[in-house]
Parts: sequence; C-alpha cells; structure tokens
Amino acid sequence: MTSSLLRPPGHLSPATALQLSQQAPIIIKNSPGAVTASALSSLFSAPETPELWTIYENLLLSCLRTGDEESAHLCLGRLVNRFGDDNERVMALIGLMKEADATDDATLEVVLKEYEALLQENPTNIPIVKRRVALLRSIGRISDAVTALIGLLDFSPTDSEAWSELSDIYFSQGLYSQAIFALEEVLVLQPNAWNIYARIGELLLMSVKSGSGDQNDSAKQLGEALKRFCRSIELCDDYLRGYYGLKLTTTQLLNDPPKPSKQAESDGLAPPNLSTLQKLDGLATEKLGEITRRFTAGEKGWQGFDEAEIAAAKELLEKSSSTTVR
Amino acid sequence: MTWFSKSTTTFGFLLLAHACPSSSCYSAYEHSALQSHRAASLSSLSATTQQAAASSSLPLDISLETIVATVIITLGLVLNTAKLRPIQWRVWAGQIERAGEEGARNSSGEIDKDFVGNPFKLLESRPGFVDIRKQRKEFAEWVKQQ
Repeated sequence: MTSSLLRPPGHLSPATALQLSQQAPIIIKNSPGAVTASALSSLFSAPETPELWTIYENLLLSCLRTGDEESAHLCLGRLVNRFGDDNERVMALIGLMKEADATDDATLEVVLKEYEALLQENPTNIPIVKRRVALLRSIGRISDAVTALIGLLDFSPTDSEAWSELSDIYFSQGLYSQAIFALEEVLVLQPNAWNIYARIGELLLMSVKSGSGDQNDSAKQLGEALKRFCRSIELCDDYLRGYYGLKLTTTQLLNDPPKPSKQAESDGLAPPNLSTLQKLDGLATEKLGEITRRFTAGEKGWQGFDEAEIAAAKELLEKSSSTTVR
Repeated sequence: MTWFSKSTTTFGFLLLAHACPSSSCYSAYEHSALQSHRAASLSSLSATTQQAAASSSLPLDISLETIVATVIITLGLVLNTAKLRPIQWRVWAGQIERAGEEGARNSSGEIDKDFVGNPFKLLESRPGFVDIRKQRKEFAEWVKQQ
C-alpha cells in the first residue's frame, strides 16, 4: 500500500486511486502532522523521513482525483506547514488544488492569471510553468500551451518530462513528425528508456497507418519503427509492448511490403530482407504466446503485466493465426 | 532455506564458543592460562626458554575447531543474504515489466522501499503536467459505471 503511495499516482487505475483515497483519513491520522525543528523534541518524536512528504503529495493527488477534498486540504495544509507557501513545488500544488476546485471557466481564468502573476515575479519557476501549460492545454488553448512549453524548453532544455509532454501535445494534433522529434530529444536525455523507444515505434506505425506521408516515407518509417521496437526489446526482456509493436510492424511489412526507396536505403532505415522479417515475426509470435500463456496460468513472477494489454496481445495472436490458416 | 541458514550460523557460533574461553571443556583460554602458569614455574626452575615458547603455541584441535567454526558461520551468513538483484539492464528491466511489485519483495515478504517500478514511466504519466480536471471527470464516469 505505502509502496504505491511513494510513486506518483497518475497511471493508477481508478479502483486503486479510490482505494488509496479511502485510506487517506487513516494515513493522515497516523502520520505526524508537523515535524518540530527544535532539537529537544526531535529526540522523542519519530524521525522525519522524505517518504512522509512524498506520501502526502501523492495522497493529495489521489484525493483530488477521487473528489475527497477534505483529505486533500489536510495533506496540502501539512505540506504548506512544512515547506511554506513560497516553495515552488508547494505553489504548484496549491494551484492544482484551485484548478480542481474551479467550477466554471471564469475561475480557471483567474487561476491562469495567478500563474502569470507568479511567473512575472520569477519566470523560471518550473513547476508553475508546467501547471500553466497543463491548464492552457486543459482549457483547449493548445497553441498557447505549445508556445509556453517551448519557452520552458528554451531555458531548461534538459527537462525530459517537458519534451515528452510536447510530444504528446503534437501527437494530439496529429503532427506525427514533430511528436517523434520531441521524443527523440527525450531519448537523448534518457537513452535507456525502453518505453520511449516503444512509444516512438508506435507513433511511426500510426503515422504510416494515417497515410500522411508518401510511399517513400512509409518504407523508411516502417524500417525505423522496426528498429525502435527491436531496441526496446533489447533493453528490456519480455517487454510485452515492444513485442506487440514488433509483431504489428512485421505483419504490416510482410503483408504489404512498401516499395524500396533510395532515401530509406541511404539513411540505413530500409526494412530488412524477407527471411529476417520472418524470423522477427516468428520470434514476436513466440514471445507474445509465452507471455500471455504464463500470465493466464497465473505463474509466479509473471503477474506484473496489464490485463488489457494481455487481452490485446491475445487478440492479435488469434487474428494472425487465423490469417495464416487461411 | 532461512531456517537452514540460521541454524547453520547458530551451530557455527556454538562451535566457536566451544573453542574459545567460556566453555567448560578444553579451551584456548584455559590452555593459555595453564601454559603461562607452567612457563612461570618452569622459569623458576631455570628450564630452557626455547621449550616454553614451543609449548605455548595452541594445540592443533583448538585451531582446527576455530577455523571450521569460522567457515560454518560464514556459510550460514552467506546463505542468509537476500536474493541478489540483477545487474544486467535488460534483465532488471524485464523483471520490472514481468513481475511488477512482486519481483521486489525481500525475504520477509515486504516490498522494498526503494522499489520504483519502471523509472521511465514518469515520462508517460508526467505528474508535473497532470490535468486534474480531466482526471476527475474520468473518475466520475468510472464511478457511474460501477
């Protein structure tokens, strides 16, 4: 329970978030509300750990998500007590709370104005810049959000989270090549991030499927997608997402081979020859089969996968085996 | 496995204690006390100092017992250590993806405190840019469906 509270709760399922926020009153009651600075009393009270404040922050996010405002306010109050309301991270949390409490657009505008006022004082307040971008995106002012985000990246180009957000905004607008470029910047900063490799592969596949590029482009993009998925598998054994993407790409390349283009070859991104492709396809099929089989059998040490992803992999395998039989 | 390693360690400590002072048997302490007493009495009888030096070294069985005890203790402690964690990137990453939290349990069955899951997941969930209003809306929808 506490271990999932030590990580940001953004990716948790609604059920887990609900469970966490239901525990909130108990956790708040049992945890120290304030840590005294005096040496004498710190001798008798429990030592202060960084985990405590991480738990408060994550609990706050879970409670806001599930609408438990009372607990959220308690958590925020304790964080403010400890770090003061001029701490940049706490300022962002206060803003987040106001966003969550806002009922109409006018209130959101007020919050946005507050962010801008804060940024007037200190333009490099990164948590507030990020909140402003998120709020702009949330109220649909996408181009303003992109401008603000590029401004952030101008003075803080090593922020991989911001690059990743930029990529996601571009992707939501259907701008695949820009989205891929932003993710490549993430890879420069985090060269071992296996999920980002898989994500780039997925974006490339979607870009081919959407048919935005011409024929030359699609050969190159499929070849690159293949490489990206292979790299993600190289970095992570039994990576379901990587094998799934690999299977999709090889199926696409085998069933509907794009015309070989000179540009792809000169870039070294031409798809490999038929026998290599078939081998990769076989490997992906075998691995996907193994993962789904062991997960469904409830084997120990194989239960970390997402159920929806397993179901999708099963469906893909069934589809591909039915076409082979035919 | 833990009971085995723990009993091995305990047995090793018993053996070491046996070879060392406290036991009632023939021990290193008693041996040295006896030797110094003998040396004192011998020197008063003006015996050769060479003989005293030779007989003051420990007898073979005590040394052997100490060495065996040390080896057994070490074996017990090594057997009792936590399972080694993978040091190869792809194996480590694979374990996170495959086993999730279960892979990070230590010998007492608790999830390790420093377990973070996939550290690069943050690049996709992006807590700094969280759209709380959307999350609340989605959560409300989910509650309605339940």
